[in-house]
Amino acid sequence: MSIVVKVVQWFTDPAHWSGSDGIPTRLVEHLQLSAESVLIGAVIALPIGIVLGHYGRFGNVAMNISNVGRAIPTFALLVLSFQIFGLGDTPIIISLTALAIPPMVTNSYVALREVDPDIKEAARGMGYRELAQIMRVELPLAVPLIMAGIRTSAVQVVATATLAALIAGGGFGRYIIDGLAQFDFTKMVAGAILVALLALATETGLAALERVLVPRGLRLLSAPAARRVAFKTA
Amino acid sequence: MPTGLFLDYVDPWINWDWLSTHIPLFTRMLTAHIELTVIAVAVGFAIALPVGVIAQRVSVLRGPILTIDGIFYTIPSIALFSLLIPYTGLTTLTSEIGLVSYVLLILTRNVVVGLDAVPRDVVDAADGMGYRPFARLIRVELPLAFPTIFAGIRIATVTTIGLITITAVIGQDSLGQLILQGLTDNFHTPLVVGTVLSVLLAFVADVGLALSQRIAVPWARSA
Amino acid sequence: MNWKARSATLAAVLAFALTAVACGSSPSSGGGGTATPKGTITIGGFKFSEGSVLAELYGQALEHDGYSVQFKLNLGSREVVAPAIKSSQIDLYIGYAATDLEYWNNAAGEATGDVNATTSKLNGHLQSLNLEALKPSAAVDQNAFAMTKANATKYNATKLSDLASIGNQIVLGAGPECPTRPFCKPGLEQTYGIHFKDFKALDTDGPLTRAAFANNSIQLGLVFSSDADLNNLGLVVLQDDKHLEAADNVVPIVRTPVATAEVTKILNAVSAGLTTSELVQLNSQVELQHQDADSAAQAFLQQHNYFS
Repeated sequence: MSIVVKVVQWFTDPAHWSGSDGIPTRLVEHLQLSAESVLIGAVIALPIGIVLGHYGRFGNVAMNISNVGRAIPTFALLVLSFQIFGLGDTPIIISLTALAIPPMVTNSYVALREVDPDIKEAARGMGYRELAQIMRVELPLAVPLIMAGIRTSAVQVVATATLAALIAGGGFGRYIIDGLAQFDFTKMVAGAILVALLALATETGLAALERVLVPRGLRLLSAPAARRVAFKTA
Repeated sequence: MPTGLFLDYVDPWINWDWLSTHIPLFTRMLTAHIELTVIAVAVGFAIALPVGVIAQRVSVLRGPILTIDGIFYTIPSIALFSLLIPYTGLTTLTSEIGLVSYVLLILTRNVVVGLDAVPRDVVDAADGMGYRPFARLIRVELPLAFPTIFAGIRIATVTTIGLITITAVIGQDSLGQLILQGLTDNFHTPLVVGTVLSVLLAFVADVGLALSQRIAVPWARSA
Repeated sequence: MNWKARSATLAAVLAFALTAVACGSSPSSGGGGTATPKGTITIGGFKFSEGSVLAELYGQALEHDGYSVQFKLNLGSREVVAPAIKSSQIDLYIGYAATDLEYWNNAAGEATGDVNATTSKLNGHLQSLNLEALKPSAAVDQNAFAMTKANATKYNATKLSDLASIGNQIVLGAGPECPTRPFCKPGLEQTYGIHFKDFKALDTDGPLTRAAFANNSIQLGLVFSSDADLNNLGLVVLQDDKHLEAADNVVPIVRTPVATAEVTKILNAVSAGLTTSELVQLNSQVELQHQDADSAAQAFLQQHNYFS
């Protein structure tokens, strides 16, 4: 199959590994957009989910944020952001952050809710105050599920960052969109492969990170809950 | 913040004049969108059901099947469409193959989990009553797994409705075309219409499916 | 009702609903199947609004004369349209003399400002492909390069050659195909000696390019000379003093078997009746007033009595 050969040639061409349209540059752009969005999203989502989960109130709010978040097509969100904010990284990061928030809210909410009530009572009985309860007792137990939520968000964001190319964003999506515009299938397929690999790498990389960071005992405790299916939006 | 240079062309968010004269366009795109959804979920289900059953029965295959599905799921849709285009062109087939792949993971996983959740005692009782494996599957296990499977169909449907908007980039008619038009024509109204219809469609589909489930199987509520 | 009966009823209702949807949306080609005696012509359009307008213009003129016309608009750039006409997927597209010459001759650099010479050279290359370019119109749409008024003042630039010495401060923005087009980036590099700081792939003079001007992420951008709103956007076109851009007159390119005497007559009539200012006017209606390309084209043709 000649397209396979052409794609291999594309990857072995040194010109594609340097410059502003080179693979390293695009990789950095893609990761930068994704990381910023997930980080900002985490800063917003985690406190909300954790607090709601701790007090157990407004569980519906947490779920509804998630549902509404899923229903809006990401493509629409990107175009909307572009029309409001113009060109640049801002509209992209805003859309991606909006995408990153729901899974992290849901997961951190559920994570806190699932902490054994006996443990919570014991902590209260021992004199821990609210903040200390959260920080020293509940949060450590909730870590596996929260990390799973972050992983879900991250993979979703990395996948969706591909679409940023539609509003002149950088990243691997650039190869796909430009290839499509120029009917250059080689570039398009090469871009698709890079994107797929990056998404998979994010998934497995973060899963491995989870395994390293989360103590084994905790992992076993919350094993079934941690295996949530990532919601697909892009 | 954008300077006056760009904002000079901001139209009202909804240009009612344009909207009222373009209803046939909306109808066409909405119909195309619904068709794509129905085909993707139907075909996906038709494949996922047997595959899921096999994955659940044959423990050796379970891991690989779910892993392969999982890999496809992680790939962004536009990347998957791009990989298909050299072989299947800028056609509806390309969109459908991509969409079905994503539906497959959700449904296969739910079929497996649903069948897994059938209590061991019930399975044993069925065996005891003389059901053969296939009959047991059809008349005992699947009905019991139905709520979980149906939950998967709901998720798959809503997911697909969202993903279809991206197919506009490869020339497919759908509500995504309205969104794309909003972008290329620097025009708010089609973007708003496309987005609102898309969200409404997802909502109606979800509620409709939930109601259908309640009608068909009133005693079992989904998760 | 037991659950089996309920499920069966539900399934029946769903099946009925689905059939209704499917029947309601089946392509209307089922209805209009009678072949008109004059035959069907498929016209392809480029993926920018002027491309759609021109395709509609010529296509509707043919329709008015009794041909059955299939419109395939928004196909893409020339990289999509050219293979389509070569493989007979489309019979006709409306091109631009100089740019098409440089595409079909693989960027040999033959185009000049003389539209007749350019068109005949174009025909020279098209002949062996069973294609031909008809009589070019007086309407012209060339590549033009613009800067914001502010930047033009800042860099003291009124013509493109002013940029030669400061190329490394300038980012160029255009459609993704620009780096491979002789009238775009390569031309600027070779003819004017401008070596840009960077190139940003945007769109063919669309909202992305305009937005890039707005936030100064590009200093020089590709626009079309027939754009309706350059002035409104505060953009100033730099003079093409070394005549990089050649005769980009609107010209229909058609498959020879389809170019009968009658078809040629109609298409030539439209070409003869179209001027640059009218093209700008049409663009304004479609881009600024958000009129549909087909209604704008129809109004124009009616106004000119279909050039018959």
